[in-house]
Amino acid sequence: MSTTSTKEEQKTRTSQDTILEVNGLKTYYEDGGLLSSNPVKAVDGVSFDIERGETLGLVGESGCGKSTLGRTLMRLEEATAGEVKLNGTDITTLSGSDLKQFRKDVQMVFQDPDSSLNERMTIGEIVREPLDVHDWKTPQERRERVRELLETVGLQEQHYYRYPHQFSGGQRQRIGIARALALEPDFIILDEPVSALDVSVQAKILNLLEDLQNEFGLTYLFIAHDLAVVRHICDRVAVMYLGNIMEIGPADEMFDEPANPYTHALLSSIPEPDPTIGRDRITLRGTPPSPRDPPAGCPFSTRCPVKIRPESYTDLDTEVWERIEVFREVLRERERASPSVTERVRELLGRETHRSGMDEIVTELFGEIDVPGGVMKHINEAADYAENDDEDAARTYLREEFGSVCDHERPGQLGVGDKGRLSLCHRHETEYEEPSTVFETLVQ
Amino acid sequence: MSTTTETEIPLRQRVAENPQPALIWAAIGAVLIGVELGAILQVVGVLAGVVVNLLPGDPGAAAVQSLQAAVDGIPTLVSRETIANQGYWDGSKYVGTFLGVSPAMAWAVRVVVVYAYAFAVLGWLWNGYKTFRRHYRRVDWTPRDDVVNRFRGHTWGKFGLIITITFVIMAVFAPALGPTTMEKNILQPYDYETSYWNEDTQNVETVLVGEANLGSGSQGAGDENVAPMTYDDYGRFHPFGTATNGKDLFTQLVFGARVSLTIAVVSMGIAGIIGLSLAMITAYYKGLADFAAVLVSDSIQALPVIMVLILMLVVFRGTWVKELYDGAVLIILIFSIVYWPFIWRSIRGPAFQVSEQDWIDAAKSFGQTPSQVMRKHMAPYVFSYMLIYASLSLGGIIISVAGLSYLGLGITAPTPEWGRLIADGQQYVASPSWHISLLPGLLITLVVTGLNAFGDGIRDAIDPQADTGSETEAAAGGGGA
Repeated sequence: MSTTSTKEEQKTRTSQDTILEVNGLKTYYEDGGLLSSNPVKAVDGVSFDIERGETLGLVGESGCGKSTLGRTLMRLEEATAGEVKLNGTDITTLSGSDLKQFRKDVQMVFQDPDSSLNERMTIGEIVREPLDVHDWKTPQERRERVRELLETVGLQEQHYYRYPHQFSGGQRQRIGIARALALEPDFIILDEPVSALDVSVQAKILNLLEDLQNEFGLTYLFIAHDLAVVRHICDRVAVMYLGNIMEIGPADEMFDEPANPYTHALLSSIPEPDPTIGRDRITLRGTPPSPRDPPAGCPFSTRCPVKIRPESYTDLDTEVWERIEVFREVLRERERASPSVTERVRELLGRETHRSGMDEIVTELFGEIDVPGGVMKHINEAADYAENDDEDAARTYLREEFGSVCDHERPGQLGVGDKGRLSLCHRHETEYEEPSTVFETLVQ
Repeated sequence: MSTTTETEIPLRQRVAENPQPALIWAAIGAVLIGVELGAILQVVGVLAGVVVNLLPGDPGAAAVQSLQAAVDGIPTLVSRETIANQGYWDGSKYVGTFLGVSPAMAWAVRVVVVYAYAFAVLGWLWNGYKTFRRHYRRVDWTPRDDVVNRFRGHTWGKFGLIITITFVIMAVFAPALGPTTMEKNILQPYDYETSYWNEDTQNVETVLVGEANLGSGSQGAGDENVAPMTYDDYGRFHPFGTATNGKDLFTQLVFGARVSLTIAVVSMGIAGIIGLSLAMITAYYKGLADFAAVLVSDSIQALPVIMVLILMLVVFRGTWVKELYDGAVLIILIFSIVYWPFIWRSIRGPAFQVSEQDWIDAAKSFGQTPSQVMRKHMAPYVFSYMLIYASLSLGGIIISVAGLSYLGLGITAPTPEWGRLIADGQQYVASPSWHISLLPGLLITLVVTGLNAFGDGIRDAIDPQADTGSETEAAAGGGGA
């Protein structure tokens, strides 16, 4: 397709035909209930639009909150804050008959075809159930509709009286799609619809989904972790990390020139089919922070390879800077690990706990490299705090000393390029270097 | 399109297109029902009488009575009248018995006919299921077929099923199985007479049943004992001998089976309904609902069951509740209240497991109501687990009821109860009258073993993974758990 035409199309769409509008959506899981009020921030302030007829891909590592976002849009989870407007109506507060009408307009296709179909019901009953729930026409017409739907998704109508056990994974996913289509929805959330299927079947299901979209003018939110699939099927892509959308924009542009550091790292993890192409992969260090305790500034600041340094340390050796970041990561992990009972007892008895041994960690990290005296002084100070089991103080100390704008301030979604692309990164502000420029220097 | 019509044919038309299997099945059914038509109509008449009694002003009481009278005249195959065993020896031949054979023989014939008839009816029903499955069902395979097939290959389970059926038939056909009746022999023995051949006078004489009973009790001594499979001095045949007071032990046993079975099934049914509903609600809503149910059930489970039973029975002694069905209703209520937490606990796990399945989310996502989600998408998976637990617990209830009666609580005399029979005969265990305690005891053991075997069979059929896993059916019926 030509870039200009899509651009024009999109412009006209943006102005009038937004089907779904999400503003500052938050979904927190409270589980401690009575005692602790430290919820899991699965979706932590997300805003985006979906236009009628387009496919928005939602990608991210497992646990980043993409499925929760989908479930919140479906009203399977209650939103903690923010609004979700479907055709202009906020659906987070719907109830009664309005909610039932909404249930008709939005449908979902689930990831696991084994678990999404009730094994005790025939295929006909499964696909018919949404029609029964909404009292769609007469029972006779419902049966007719089910048979039509089965043919639409590439099954045969004599499958009406079979059970899910008698079908393969791909066929079961087709049944799930038929069920989602039954009520003629405008908008379908596809929650990793092909990730449980064989590769050969994946392509068929994706083609089916595309055909259905063209035939019925459907709008898709396509949740996935397979980037190749997303690139194939999606018009626009949103990249999620730790409950935030890091970057959102047209798929082709984003895949060719990722703006956000996280997208950069994520895309570099796609395996290249051609082994002769030399490619520099960016391996992220550590694991994502706990969604109970996300970083105060940028969500990606704990792992970002191109994090902005404070002015006083811009000239510091990269190696040393790297080690300082690792040290901070270690402290974060130590704080998260709650002490076991034996450790508490040892602590009470005044014995040495396993949690001590800061010296070894410092030696391990900084022993072999040349650390400037000033920096080392701060490190030792923090290590002392940590030695006395006050990781919090140690972390605060290090943040004060080595933290930058990335640690202190949450970045806004800044526009990149001219196609409405947004990226959550301080580096898009004019006073800093663009992430891609810094990546180039890193890779060399 | 041709396939369109193929899948749309209603059952009636499918039968019409291939009527032969259905016709054969229906013909056999007509014969089986026909021979017992009188009995079925009698039950209808009795029910109609009950309804009329309950209505204010007893409308149509006369009509119901004439109906009952008319129905009583219809001969039925399995009845005391058709195969009579209560006759007497007039010095040269038996009078009043079936074809003039001995009372023992006539009784044996009737027992065989009763069981043959009952098993024929069950066989007919099973055959009906198979006929439907082979010829008329639209679906050529269901997950339940695998369960049925697995159970058919389960010898221990089938043994349990046969024992259970035998026990149920005993309870259902109790009036026809006993050599005498409750009314004549046990409840109103002084209102009826019996004829017998007096050896001394060489004459047929009559005596009140009550007096005859006094002369034929089993009290341990050689001359005061009527052993199993013998006649007493009045020419009456006693398959299981007599009790201490001379009443027929077998008659008491079959009627005792009725009481035990009613209590066990009804209280398990009530407890099951409570347990299943709660399991659905707690698994669907989780959180506070679950917490409340845990609290209540823990409180109930903390009470020792037997203590509660004894206490409640003592507390309610002399009230109208205790009068209903000789105290069985009270026992049923207590068992239901005490047993539901056990059922709920045992199916809570499977219910929670099912509630995590995606198809529940799918149903919610297109707006299915909670009650329908519970009924259509959760209950079928949990119900089988409840069935296992209930069938395993039935035996426990039967033992508990017997235990209560043994202690002199529970079912009020003269309604027969197995536990009371055991208690009555306890002091004669080491005497010639050993049969009074031993035979009811053996029957309890057999029935409880049978029920447990049946429960094992269901469990292995539903959840083959719980077994050693010799079956490798691709489709597991209990796949949800």
